[in-house]
Amino acid sequence: MSLTSGPANAAGAQSNLNLSVERHVDYIKNLDSRRDELEYWLTEHLRLNGVYWGLTALHLLGRPETLPREETINFVLSCQRENGGFGAAPGHDAHMLYTVSAVQILVMLDAVDELEKRGLGGKEKVGTFIAELQDKESGAFMGDEWGERDTRFLYGAFNALSLLGLLDTVDVSKAVSYIQSCENLDGGYGIQPGAESHAGQVFTCVGALTIAGRLDLVNRDRLGGWLSERQVDNGGLNGRPEKLPDACYSWWVGASLAMIDRLHWIDGGKLATFILRCQDSEAGGIGDRPGSMVDVFHTHFAIAGLSLLKFDGVKEIDPAYCLPKTITMKCLS
Amino acid sequence: MAAHGIPRYTRLGEKTEEVRQQELHKIEKYRELDQSVRDKVAAQQYTPETLQKITELLTSNPEYYTVWNYRRQVLRSEFSRAASAGSEEATGGQIATLIKDDLMFLIPLLRSFPKCYWIWNYRTWLLDEAKRLLPVPTARKFWQEELALVGKMLSLDSRNFHGWGYRLFVVETLRELRSEELEEKDMTRTEFEYAKKMIGANLSNFSAWHYRTKLIQRLLRENSASDEERRKMLDDELDLIHRALCDPYDQSLWFYHQNLMCTFDPSVAGQTLAPNLSDSERLDYLRREIEEIQEMLDGAEDCKYIYQALIDCTMLSWKVEGREPSGEPKTQVLGWLSELKKLDPLRHQRWLDFEQSLCR
Repeated sequence: MSLTSGPANAAGAQSNLNLSVERHVDYIKNLDSRRDELEYWLTEHLRLNGVYWGLTALHLLGRPETLPREETINFVLSCQRENGGFGAAPGHDAHMLYTVSAVQILVMLDAVDELEKRGLGGKEKVGTFIAELQDKESGAFMGDEWGERDTRFLYGAFNALSLLGLLDTVDVSKAVSYIQSCENLDGGYGIQPGAESHAGQVFTCVGALTIAGRLDLVNRDRLGGWLSERQVDNGGLNGRPEKLPDACYSWWVGASLAMIDRLHWIDGGKLATFILRCQDSEAGGIGDRPGSMVDVFHTHFAIAGLSLLKFDGVKEIDPAYCLPKTITMKCLS
Repeated sequence: MAAHGIPRYTRLGEKTEEVRQQELHKIEKYRELDQSVRDKVAAQQYTPETLQKITELLTSNPEYYTVWNYRRQVLRSEFSRAASAGSEEATGGQIATLIKDDLMFLIPLLRSFPKCYWIWNYRTWLLDEAKRLLPVPTARKFWQEELALVGKMLSLDSRNFHGWGYRLFVVETLRELRSEELEEKDMTRTEFEYAKKMIGANLSNFSAWHYRTKLIQRLLRENSASDEERRKMLDDELDLIHRALCDPYDQSLWFYHQNLMCTFDPSVAGQTLAPNLSDSERLDYLRREIEEIQEMLDGAEDCKYIYQALIDCTMLSWKVEGREPSGEPKTQVLGWLSELKKLDPLRHQRWLDFEQSLCR
């Protein structure tokens, strides 16, 4: 990568640091061979998310074939429960978060039809699980039968249902009103009505509005101003005022800015450099801050952030879906 | 969930055989425990022994959401056993004890894992069960103690996102459960004092400023405040923020200031504490605001937030007047903007975009 030159600009960001592509590919490839580490078993509740994070990162790094396709599909299907939803691993309870990952993985592998062939009741059954989690009165979505409400689930529902072509099975306009009720005067959104704006929640709300085709409801300049203030002097982004930067906010903030056409309001070169400094360039993987332990969650969202910045060698990502652009173009066309 | 802020260990070569064996042993024990819990739940053995095993498993892995669901199933079964046991009073007593014990079990977990969604969710569920199953005065007691607990959590980490969301939720429920002698606005007043205390402890705490914004509006609504009273509140808030801004480098304060400025923006004023100001009142306020902020520049000429606020207020007054930028004020805005471009290189393009929109 050449040295930064010209005015600060988010698109086509460059840095004098390299992205250790090979190391990251190996790191992700070997995640499933660490069964002799206690941590592997303690993180079983994230397995299906982990496959989604790893697979997406590999796609962005130009290595979509790294994980064995058939085995991956088998694993996804083994996580499905009788109610149509998916758990984090075989035998774990169904939940929105894992159901969305399952759909995203199947879409990336062009294997949604496996739900008809081998799944329980085809994609409609998955859609029904998601649709039944909508609260008919408020329009909000719950994570599972136990009733936790969070704008993350609303976004997840819109993401998965639209990929399956089933968005019309839920009350979109009610859900959109619910999102509006989470908006604050700073232009951002909180986890529920009345809650403080948070970059993660901004992503879910703006993502859902993008999928619903209702970006007209966003105050772009106001929100863009708040989001651009997330960038701190070392180039990294934080999630709320006066908090520490974290590589995963490269995605939550960056994608939100991209959806409202304001990504150039931050310094992309400096952000790219911050992300690259979070790498473990010897063993692979990316952590939340320089020198932190790496994990697949941060590895994925950091690479996704570089993709938004059109970083050399990283494939383009869809900011609303957090999937490779080529995949969503094909799936949604 | 993922590793946040944990230092990367230095790799000192391969693990010794002894360390490896110890880890394998731990894995074996963990998996045995996991399997035994799953077997017991699959066989619907909702017994105190199963609950004990679940406790062990959750203590070693509080992120294991499915096991929290198992715990709910066991508890529900114990609740119904208690319900069939005897008199209404005895039943209530038993259920209250079950809930109390379980709330206690969660405390050390929350202390060690304050950002774990699943523990907070489970706790919420448990308290909802108290509301569902117990007489109102007993349930209320549980929720009141919860308010004290969340206060303690927030004094340890005053920006904890879960903590603030949880506080909102606890207060909402207490409103539902409140006794007749306690008026709703008394609760709002107490919460307002709480937000004030948190701001006093740390002016940079935007979570507390945000809470204050919401509470003020609620307070005014509950008191059916007149426009006059609302204006008085606005004046007090402006006073407060001006005093706080003796440190003009604090972003949290400026976001609160921005919230207050929305009062003078005709398109969003309806969502603010003083929605019915006339245009000439708005312009008066903005004029005084610009003077006030300009004074802050003295000794803080390198503070970008000041220029930003000056521009925002000026633009807002143009919006109220319904006129296009021109003449002397426009030159002044361009001057502030050129300072901003120098002081805020990270957002250079944002200021260029603004400049373009101004000179179109």
